[in-house]
Amino acid sequence: MKKKIISLMMAAALSVTTLAACGGTDQGSAGGAAQQAEDSGSGSESTDDAGKTYALVTKSAGNAFMELLGTGFAQAVESTGGKAIIKDPQAATADAQISEIQSLISQGVDSILVAANDPSALTAVLKEATDAGIKVLTVDSDVDAASRAFFVNQASTELIGQTLLDACYDIAGGSGQYAILSATSQATNQNAWIDAMKAAAEADSKYANMELVEVAYGDDEPQKSTDQTQALLSKYPDLKVICAPTTVGIAAAAKVLQDTGSSVKLTGLGLPSEMVEYIGEDDAHSCPYMFLWNMIDLGNLAGYASVALVNGDTTGAVGEKFTAGNMGEFEVVDVDGASQIILGNPFKFDASNVQEWADKGM
Amino acid sequence: MAGKSGREISAVPEGGLKEKLLSWEGALILILVAVNILGVAISPVYNVTNVLREMPKYLAEAFMVFGMGYILVLGDIDISVGSIVCLSATMACFAGNAGLPFPVVVLVCVLTGLVCGMINGLIASKFTELPTMIITLGTQIIFRGIAEVSLGSGGSLSMKDTSGLSALGTKIGPFPISFFVLVIFAVIFITLLSKTTFGRRLYAIGSNQTAAKYAGINVQGSRFFAFSLLGFLSGVCAIFLLSTLFGANTTTGNGFEMEIIAMCVFGGIATTGGKGNLIGAFIAAFIIFCLRIALGQRNINTQIILVVIGLMLIVSVVIPAISSAVSAGRKKQGN
Amino acid sequence: MKKKNIWQTITGSREASLVAVLVVLLVVIEIMSPSFLAPANVSQIFRNNALTLLMALGMLCVMLTAGIDISITSTLAFAGMTIGMLQKYNIIHNTFLLFLIGSAIGVVCGLLNGLIIAKAKVSPIICTMGFMYIWRGMAYVVSGNAWASGADVAGFSDFGKDGSPGPYIILILAYVIFFVVMKWTRFGRKIYAVGSNPEAARISGINVDRTVISVYTIMGFLAGLAGVLSVSIYASAQPNMQYGKEMDVIAACVIGGVSMNGGRGSVAGTFLGALIIAIIAKALPLVGIDAIAQNLVKGIIILAVVILNVITQRAMDHQNLVRREM
Repeated sequence: MKKKIISLMMAAALSVTTLAACGGTDQGSAGGAAQQAEDSGSGSESTDDAGKTYALVTKSAGNAFMELLGTGFAQAVESTGGKAIIKDPQAATADAQISEIQSLISQGVDSILVAANDPSALTAVLKEATDAGIKVLTVDSDVDAASRAFFVNQASTELIGQTLLDACYDIAGGSGQYAILSATSQATNQNAWIDAMKAAAEADSKYANMELVEVAYGDDEPQKSTDQTQALLSKYPDLKVICAPTTVGIAAAAKVLQDTGSSVKLTGLGLPSEMVEYIGEDDAHSCPYMFLWNMIDLGNLAGYASVALVNGDTTGAVGEKFTAGNMGEFEVVDVDGASQIILGNPFKFDASNVQEWADKGM
Repeated sequence: MAGKSGREISAVPEGGLKEKLLSWEGALILILVAVNILGVAISPVYNVTNVLREMPKYLAEAFMVFGMGYILVLGDIDISVGSIVCLSATMACFAGNAGLPFPVVVLVCVLTGLVCGMINGLIASKFTELPTMIITLGTQIIFRGIAEVSLGSGGSLSMKDTSGLSALGTKIGPFPISFFVLVIFAVIFITLLSKTTFGRRLYAIGSNQTAAKYAGINVQGSRFFAFSLLGFLSGVCAIFLLSTLFGANTTTGNGFEMEIIAMCVFGGIATTGGKGNLIGAFIAAFIIFCLRIALGQRNINTQIILVVIGLMLIVSVVIPAISSAVSAGRKKQGN
Repeated sequence: MKKKNIWQTITGSREASLVAVLVVLLVVIEIMSPSFLAPANVSQIFRNNALTLLMALGMLCVMLTAGIDISITSTLAFAGMTIGMLQKYNIIHNTFLLFLIGSAIGVVCGLLNGLIIAKAKVSPIICTMGFMYIWRGMAYVVSGNAWASGADVAGFSDFGKDGSPGPYIILILAYVIFFVVMKWTRFGRKIYAVGSNPEAARISGINVDRTVISVYTIMGFLAGLAGVLSVSIYASAQPNMQYGKEMDVIAACVIGGVSMNGGRGSVAGTFLGALIIAIIAKALPLVGIDAIAQNLVKGIIILAVVILNVITQRAMDHQNLVRREM
């Protein structure tokens, strides 16, 4: 009896784990280009001297936004003959990212690119990676400047803040109340952009008649974002504009406004594919226009930057320039003590181009 | 709790149970070996150095297995541990940044955990009608809520002076300090549960609370103790976790509770109380860690790893049930 | 005598004491944020919490048999993500068919839970914890890191659109059916019987296993239905949808007086419990509590209501005892 149980358990454990391995490879064929990249990456740990391995740690699995970044990253890396590994942590936490980075250190990859879930919690593990001779850089959300070579920034924080504020100003017609619907109260990016908006509002007297009534947090959950949007509407009857600098929040708010036929308008940062339904100048649509940057381009740039760093084309010091594939030359600049390269300006999506971008898969 | 009365009827006699438990741990050791063989087979970098290097974060989690084991043996459950870790780590960061010496920081961290555990224990022993799942669901939200409020809008706080934490994270040979502490804790808590009168009383309470009460066992006191212990161990987990994170944020420790409960159950501790022991849970924890490390090195999708852990959990509870049903059926035929 | 009767009904029934809690809560909120009880706001409360309200019914049945199901939001995500992807890749756009598929996925998930719990005598929390990981993982696998959103589910999302009666009809139907079934049918009585005393139920000829299996299947069905409804209401399918919300559903039941030891609880109580949770969620952003403190306040309210329940229950038992002695 005893032996029987043991052998049963053994069989079960082995079958389960092999199943896992199969499941992992199945996933690749089902997913997009990034998954395929992941698979080709996973096959490459055998010390293949010719191809270098470049890794990306995204914010979390199941995030369409990060998926685009991964697609661009894999394209760029593969165009230089390198191999890309894309790791999607189990949850959007620093804890989960640490496990992924540790695993990459074991695999001896050449570079790690990370979209950090916390500005400081990755310090120790990134230092360990650097000590192991791995080049570290960040994209989308930064960590402390000392822990990485440089940050691949989508657009300068000031510019995003200014752009969003101008959009609110424009849509509100120069005066009136506006509110912000953010992700979580701890989201580093969102907080920086909101602060930049506030700073821009104070810097110019032109915005004197614009009143920011509240910053609400929808936690990037459709349900909570819906609740928060509705609360804003009933609390502030004179509200003119809601600005949602987060993809989940803007889609949820757009739906609320459009379904109820509210006169409140929306702008912010969103994915075209999520927002096609809601973008338009007329009253039937809730969002006249919104912004984002090309996530695939950002992935491309981050991929080329990883390659340049590993090849020694740049050390990441401020003032150095390097060529990012076919994207041209980029210079590492210093913004408030954080060395970074900047992709460009936020891109405006309105009724004329949103469908086209959604069709491109963005 | 659930379906307990149904279980007792089909309970196996004492000798059979013991034999089953023994073989369960044997099986677990074999699975641990199998997982390691699998690791070597699928990942060329799966070796002692790398596994030990990836281990510290997981080792911190393992501390809670002992406390949770006690709670489950009592027939209770605690789903607030992840939040306790978060709150303890947060308080430790505040203490550290206030310039307190490192030993005091450690004390703050562990005491915060202990106090949280005592609050759970106090409510559980005063309001015995309340299922502990609901109590700890409430405190889960509250403890993390306190951390959220104290961390403020940044939601993240890093330790300015990391020298103490770095010292805690250093290695002796290839082994991190937390490994030795964990082994010492393991010896203490495994012995306490399996070799002492106190431990046997916990089993008695878990298998029949009313009977235990009439036998003169301090039921509510024991429950209070178990919750406090788990709180304390969550504090210990927090300080070792800090030695890899160097800071706390609002998501620290998120989801730990379910992982820890899963390890205990996989290790053979029944959530209905009165069954299982810590050795199994301890081995099970390492099985899950090694599996995660191995599959991670093979770059298998993290969500698939969760599916695998879920399957292992179900298989591990279904197999003994089926085999005992089969043997019971055989006995019936024999009669 | 008459006076005592009123007093008796207030302290003597859990539902009545819940109504009292609800009234107090509403009065406080209404003072802090007038217009809370405006029709539009009330209808939003039901629409935004349709998922919790719906799944609480299934959880009631599960908890009546002394079980628990923590896999529900994973089932929800798996079903919701599947029908989201079916639309994204233009395979099926028929609303009725999508509801059927989503619910069918839920039924299969629930049936598996029920079979393992009833036949292999696995403790419900463990079995459903395993499936919590498995179905959530499957939702991610199905999604392939993509989301289904506004344009993908256009047409289908009209069903749950603000102003559409769809979600309300489902809720009313579900509550009426459950109210009737739990109160006046043999099946309802079987569930109570199994929960209060499985041995007695078995002896009196009730097929305990079959009852347990059907209870989990019903739970799975409702979770699948909630998944479809969620995609329809929010016009969005993401693999992490409703993550962790199973605890809200369990809390709703416990606040509503459903015992986790089985055998005690009612549809009316469940409804009130879920309503309290829904009102808290709706009111927190309205009454001007700092966003950062909202979780803390929510936790404190839940724990306070639950402890208050115990205290009233004790007073109630004490009173009954005194009455009997008289």
